[in-house]
Amino acid sequence: MATEYVKFVDVTKCDGCRACMVACKNWNDLPAEQQDFLGSAQSHAKTTADTWNVLQYIEHENSKGKLDYLFRHSACFHCTDAACEKVCPENAISYTDFGTVVIDHEKCVGCGYCVNNCPFEVISLKEYVDKNGDKYRKAHKCTMCTDRLEEGLQPACVTTCHTGAMEFGDKAAMIKKAEERVKQIKDRYPNAMVYNPKGVGGTHTVYVLAEKPSVYGLPENPKVPTSAVLWKDYAQPLGKMMIGATTMGVIGMFISSRIINKGKQDEGGDSHE
Amino acid sequence: MKKTIVSKEYQNLQKDIIALQENWKKSINPDSINPELDKAAMSAGVPAAALTSINFEISLFLQWIEEINVLLSKNNPELEPKLAGVITLLNEETVIRWIDEAFSFNSVYFASFAQENGLDEWIPQFLAETALRPYLQLTAEKIQHEVTHAIPGAGCPVCGEPARLAVLEDEGKKVMTCPRCLARWHAKRIECAHCGNDDHNSIQFITIEGDSSNQIQVCEKCTGYIKVIDTRQYLSKPSASMLDLNSIHLDFVAQEQGYQAVGEIKQTY
Repeated sequence: MATEYVKFVDVTKCDGCRACMVACKNWNDLPAEQQDFLGSAQSHAKTTADTWNVLQYIEHENSKGKLDYLFRHSACFHCTDAACEKVCPENAISYTDFGTVVIDHEKCVGCGYCVNNCPFEVISLKEYVDKNGDKYRKAHKCTMCTDRLEEGLQPACVTTCHTGAMEFGDKAAMIKKAEERVKQIKDRYPNAMVYNPKGVGGTHTVYVLAEKPSVYGLPENPKVPTSAVLWKDYAQPLGKMMIGATTMGVIGMFISSRIINKGKQDEGGDSHE
Repeated sequence: MKKTIVSKEYQNLQKDIIALQENWKKSINPDSINPELDKAAMSAGVPAAALTSINFEISLFLQWIEEINVLLSKNNPELEPKLAGVITLLNEETVIRWIDEAFSFNSVYFASFAQENGLDEWIPQFLAETALRPYLQLTAEKIQHEVTHAIPGAGCPVCGEPARLAVLEDEGKKVMTCPRCLARWHAKRIECAHCGNDDHNSIQFITIEGDSSNQIQVCEKCTGYIKVIDTRQYLSKPSASMLDLNSIHLDFVAQEQGYQAVGEIKQTY
């Protein structure tokens, strides 16, 4: 396996320039989306099928009663234990050697289970129309620029970040850096923390958050839904076993009935003579 | 997206050769390299290695040539008979000549040596150059702190190799690197390494669609080009020699567009 990399996002260094959003659209060739004004500088409410990362702008009253204007680069977390991968009935979602989670659009049937089960709500369905005018859907999300990683390049959003709020590197080194950064900013942001939730086995996007996760609309302790675990780890293997057993049964029946019928035919043949 | 047109096999062979050179470098006695830097000569563009007295160890040089022959034969067994006789042609006198001629990149000498001895034309110069590089690289390491900039048109300030590769670092700082001796020196972001032209109107950049980390900087005045590689985008930073090899498609593009690896200003009388 290749070195395990993570994207380290230090939101306290972000100045909200949105270059990461532009770089993502540019690299992944994603079309622009017309949006209504949301009442703040934020362009999209959340990530969509054509906007794989969104910069959040949050006006927050801190513990001293003062206004903090918080920014967060939000995109797929690339969970180590990804709920989307677990619920996908077509095995269209898989892990790469880099630990990133990617969707195979050839296999995706657009069922939307991944959309409903993602604890961070980053996956969306895109509607397509085929040449017969029939509509079909495919799930879309950030790929962590796996196509760039395979060529030894860092993700597009990371390379464009001018404040150094994003880095991409060895997992242990990045987590250490994040922990040291939290110590540095404790005076200014007493609630600062490293966000690398254990409930999903850790993620491949590690944040230094200035405030509690809920301030950013993130779950405090995201988990892979129990139904997803039941589905992938128990129901699916059991189902496959059952299919195997049923198939064997049917084949067994077929062969045995053939043997019996043959016996009968032979008997019948004798009686004709 | 593909970052290079060079096959994995050839890249691996080059990596093996570089690994050998790294090993060889360790066996050189650092005291055998004595730079006698002359600021006046260097500011006139004389490469520092030419001002350095190097005590070459002939037996080491011969041993390295044998090692490189083994590696090449292992990689491509067809080469074995072609390389087998080379070592017998080398005596002390020839080795000294090889070192001198490799240093000054005298292709004519090596071509005639190959012809006289019935060797493939590439063999003598390739072997001599490969075995010379550890000495050049160690020289560059030793005097790196003295090397801050280069004289336009004079090539690498350490070994004299034509300047052709720059990398972008930190906040976009352009650092010229020599794929031959691995020396590094600073250059202005908009400046031709061949003629010193720093007029932004006549320095252009050629980029290749989908190739976000590479640029070709071309000078309209001397028609020279250099490759500029944004290694800040890389997961791990390859050596200058691997960068030079892997970006060979840029040389093709630049030369197809009429630019030259060594620029020249046309004299009008």
